[in-house]
Amino acid sequence: MKNRIKVYRAMHDLTQEGLANELGVTRQTILAIEKGKYDPSLDLAFRIARFFGVTIEDIFLYGDTAERK
Amino acid sequence: MFKIVYNGCNMKRNTFYLLAGIVALAEVGIFWLSVELERPILIQVAFVLGVLLLYVARRRVEERLEDERTAMITEKAALRTLEVSWVVFFAISLGSAVVAFSRPLGLRPPHPPDPNVTHALIIRITEPDVLPFDLFGRFAIGQLVLLCLMIFLYVGFRMYYARKYGEWDRDEEQD
Repeated sequence: MKNRIKVYRAMHDLTQEGLANELGVTRQTILAIEKGKYDPSLDLAFRIARFFGVTIEDIFLYGDTAERK
Repeated sequence: MFKIVYNGCNMKRNTFYLLAGIVALAEVGIFWLSVELERPILIQVAFVLGVLLLYVARRRVEERLEDERTAMITEKAALRTLEVSWVVFFAISLGSAVVAFSRPLGLRPPHPPDPNVTHALIIRITEPDVLPFDLFGRFAIGQLVLLCLMIFLYVGFRMYYARKYGEWDRDEEQD
């Protein structure tokens, strides 16, 4: 599953550490999600989306959606 | 208005690791003392207290050490370790059961008088004063070996899953 966390982070001028602190996870988890090595739980995905004020689909691109975009 | 915030005695991550090292060294020392004094209860109590101390200290670390990803890594490593361990434990237990059942069950009849008993007694008296490596000792050592195997397996699986889920990845923010 691809995601655009890095883009949204840049838009909000946030570091991985800063985002991790806001979401209550470790910085390595944010890094692992950005690199596609770890798919977050639904709960964390919602928290990320709400933090950036967008929907989950705006941030996470599942399967063929990711290929189309 | 003043606001009193209880901060407890929180600690940094490195302080926690330092404390863990000190506890480990203390455990080694107490183990030695326990052997010298021939009091197993010393190391047993010290080990339980040491583990409890580390559990409490871990909860007081300021930086976040655990989240859903690390919990998942721990779960997967523990499950794989259990999957291997129960087979090994069961195989060894089966072997022990075969040894146990290959002899008559129940109370054993008294041994017939040994014609060389006087000779045996003399040999026993002249032997050095050491503990015999009896069945109980072998059981304890076997248990320790199995426990070490479990720990090695767990550490191995944990490293594998930690690497798989990006525990040691680096990026431009760290470079």
